[in-house]
Amino acid sequence: MTVMTDTLAEHADAQLRKGEPLIEMDGIGKSYGAIRALRGINLRVNAGEVTCVLGDNGAGKSTLIKIMSGLHPHNEGSLKVDGKELTFGSPREALDHGIATVYQDLAVVSLMEVWRNFFLGSELRAGKYPLAGLRIKEMKRIADEELRKMGIVVKDINQPIGTLSGGQRQCVAIARAVYFGARVLILDEPTAALGVKQSGVVLKYTAAARDAGLGVVFITHNPHHAYLVGDHFIILKLGGTVLDKKRSEVGLDELTTQMAGGDELTELSHELGR
Amino acid sequence: MRLSRIRGARFVAVAAVVTLGVAACSSGGKEATTEDSSGGGNAAGSSGYTIAFVTHETPGDTFWDKIKSGAEQAAKDTGVTLKYSNDPDAAKQAVLIQNAVDSKVNGIATTLVTPDALAGSVKAATDAKIPVVGLNAGIDQYKKLGALMYFGSDETVAGTSAGTRITAEGAKHPLCVIHQAGSVALEARCAGVKSSAPGTENLQVNGTDDSAVTSTLQAKLTQDKSIDYVVTLGATVALDALKAKDASGSAAKVATFDLNTEIAQQIKDSKVEFSIDQQPYVQGYMAVTALYLNLKNGNDLGGGKPVLTGPSFVDKSNIDVILPFTQKNTR
Amino acid sequence: MTNVQTSPPPSTAPLPQPSNRVTLGLSNRLLARPEVGALVAAILIFIFFLVSAPAFRSGESFFTILYQSSTIGIVAVAVGMLMIGGEFDLSAGVITITAGLVNSMLCWNYGMNLWVGAVVSLVFCLFIGFVNGYLVMKTGIPSFLITLGTFFVLQGANLGVTKLVTGSVSSTDISKIDGFSSLQAVFASSFKVGPVTVWITVIWWILFVALAAWILQRTRTGNWIFAVGGNPDSARAVGVPLIKTKIGLFMTVSFLGWFVGMHLLYRFNTLQAGNGVGNEFLYIIAAVVGGTLLTGGYGNAIGVAIGAFIFGMTSLGIVYAGWDPNWFKAFLGVMLLLAVLVNLYVKRMSTARKVG
Repeated sequence: MTVMTDTLAEHADAQLRKGEPLIEMDGIGKSYGAIRALRGINLRVNAGEVTCVLGDNGAGKSTLIKIMSGLHPHNEGSLKVDGKELTFGSPREALDHGIATVYQDLAVVSLMEVWRNFFLGSELRAGKYPLAGLRIKEMKRIADEELRKMGIVVKDINQPIGTLSGGQRQCVAIARAVYFGARVLILDEPTAALGVKQSGVVLKYTAAARDAGLGVVFITHNPHHAYLVGDHFIILKLGGTVLDKKRSEVGLDELTTQMAGGDELTELSHELGR
Repeated sequence: MRLSRIRGARFVAVAAVVTLGVAACSSGGKEATTEDSSGGGNAAGSSGYTIAFVTHETPGDTFWDKIKSGAEQAAKDTGVTLKYSNDPDAAKQAVLIQNAVDSKVNGIATTLVTPDALAGSVKAATDAKIPVVGLNAGIDQYKKLGALMYFGSDETVAGTSAGTRITAEGAKHPLCVIHQAGSVALEARCAGVKSSAPGTENLQVNGTDDSAVTSTLQAKLTQDKSIDYVVTLGATVALDALKAKDASGSAAKVATFDLNTEIAQQIKDSKVEFSIDQQPYVQGYMAVTALYLNLKNGNDLGGGKPVLTGPSFVDKSNIDVILPFTQKNTR
Repeated sequence: MTNVQTSPPPSTAPLPQPSNRVTLGLSNRLLARPEVGALVAAILIFIFFLVSAPAFRSGESFFTILYQSSTIGIVAVAVGMLMIGGEFDLSAGVITITAGLVNSMLCWNYGMNLWVGAVVSLVFCLFIGFVNGYLVMKTGIPSFLITLGTFFVLQGANLGVTKLVTGSVSSTDISKIDGFSSLQAVFASSFKVGPVTVWITVIWWILFVALAAWILQRTRTGNWIFAVGGNPDSARAVGVPLIKTKIGLFMTVSFLGWFVGMHLLYRFNTLQAGNGVGNEFLYIIAAVVGGTLLTGGYGNAIGVAIGAFIFGMTSLGIVYAGWDPNWFKAFLGVMLLLAVLVNLYVKRMSTARKVG
């Protein structure tokens, strides 16, 4: 496991201090036309901590991620990165601030080779002029190494990424985010498509990232996985927050109950009376 | 942001000034012409007649342009309001004629390239007592359809005369170049040529792409060295044929149907042997004028027979007279 | 910084090696590449015509075919790149004539040096490319439809403006205007190598293909092009400048359209304003025959060049073989279908041989 953490330690920003607020969201809201996807969200991502965002489908988790990763700008409230208030105009800007995201739908291009996908958007070039060549050998080598560290060996680094299994693709996406993410790592439902063993690998990675000083945002609808690594828990429901507690303030049972429906579940059990 | 905008605007301004400056110091373009109106004539519509002019023109053909110019000049000269419409598709052309009938025009001039398709609309016109004249195509059927007069050339006669002439010049294996797939008129011309020059072979080219025309002709002339004459059916194709001939080193002579300024010059320079002109300008002009006279005075031209505007041969012997007219786009 | 928990470094523990790792043989890797399928098809067609058409066998014929291929191939390179980027441009055929007409009429009317007109025409064409790309990105309407609109606008404008300016539907003789001979040297000259005439467009074509191949395979821009064509959302999410890349691709098409327009103008002098229509599909066919996926994200510049060459060979080969020209279109269609099928078969054969 140490080889994995080596990468994290190498690529993490050397100036991170534990507890330092990296992302601060105050009253964030987002509407798509007449639909209000998020309202009044307060969230803090601190260095060296894992913030878990839980919620059922349609709760607004994806929207929250999109705002943090620069895909869509927020309509209400303020977003502060390193204390400076700003709005991301594109994912490129978020990446430049050291915020790397592993999306639920993986953001890979199926027809392209594994190494091209790994370096997509952050390619290594031989020079700064417009048609500078890519450092292809180097990129292939690095991609291969990083994947090996995660425990995946692809048969051919040149094969189209679409030929890999879902779990392998997920690991490529995570390895990519870890390699390029220097300050904040956002993992959108990382264990949803994985088996138990691979989920274990991902969770260990999450812990290692936290230990290396990164701020981690872990989105899931699996409270057990969340409780294994989280320092802070937020549950979203229909665009609003229904629970916002530190690890010390909440137990796994309460998390699970709230996730399953909280008060409504209690009512339902009374009605069904079995 | 503001600074780069100012700089951007300045750059555009400088570029504009430079362009205008360079524009002033160049030569070889259009001659400065004195104000010339295209011939006097009465104000449009002063005779009170409206005439619909319907053709099967494919947009962009210089040949049809001349017909249109003739028609427009005639409209000016006689004070007629001209309504021009066109569609190469027969069914759609029939609809255009029907439109004219519905808008109660005073007269209709139309090409009759696909007589069966147009018969219904022409009948509707004659039933509504609107006089119809045919032009350019349909020389054998115009009377049956109910048209009063016809102005045009006989494609088959034109083709045959071309064939006769090139045979007289010693051609044994002419090439007839069709530049529009599926055109009945063009096929008729080549068939005419073949009837009096039996060794004639047809070749299809893509008339909308000059480089394709040139390459295809060049390939053919290279493949078959026995070709001694190239007959094209349009002026621009003839120009491409000249290029292909030079590139392939062929000794074939070139002749063409239809005329334009460049071809006229090539005839003068002896590069093109002759051109068979059907005088499109006069077809358009006479169709409109004849309708006007018919409406005004009940006059009738042709004596029950078509009024032939061609074929007329333009070659070295008469090019000097004709050249200035091609430059004015009236011949 | 918190301390990272480490156990003593496992110095001898190697990274896991796969037991079933397969290094694909060179021949397999070669066959899987899209341009190889097209090359096989091209060779087959070439041999076919060598056998059936004696006139095909000369050097001059070969270079005539190269010339014909280059006038289609130059624009096809850009159209192919655009298709790899996931979009279509149906205005690519007409814009060649627009470029020539703008240059010709501007200079004839105002007496400008032809070089100035050529530059103005270039700016105008790049602007059209920009508008195409901008509209596609801003409205989200498929590029097929947007460029269809541009195609009709340009087709009508070509005719209407020419008629307004020159009084007829073909542009005027510009051979006497300053700059003609130098522009002709750049865009429309030829030189003889022994008995064979080589047109400069062939040289330009080869240069553009090499440049495109470099960009696609070996630069960051190429990576972006494949990404925005394969999965535009993913590309954007990882920081690829989606809008700039796509607009850039449309402008590349209009640039090369301008280039061929200049060749047409300086070779043929007068242009028919209604020309150019129909070529837009030839460019797409050349790209598809060369292995470019219609859905985007996959393709190759060399393949597109081979596709254009196949078109040139087929259209002129039929003439060289002396076949009945009425069947021309049918023969062309059959040849092209065969080329695409061979291409597909070769690709399937190579992927089926992969182990595991």
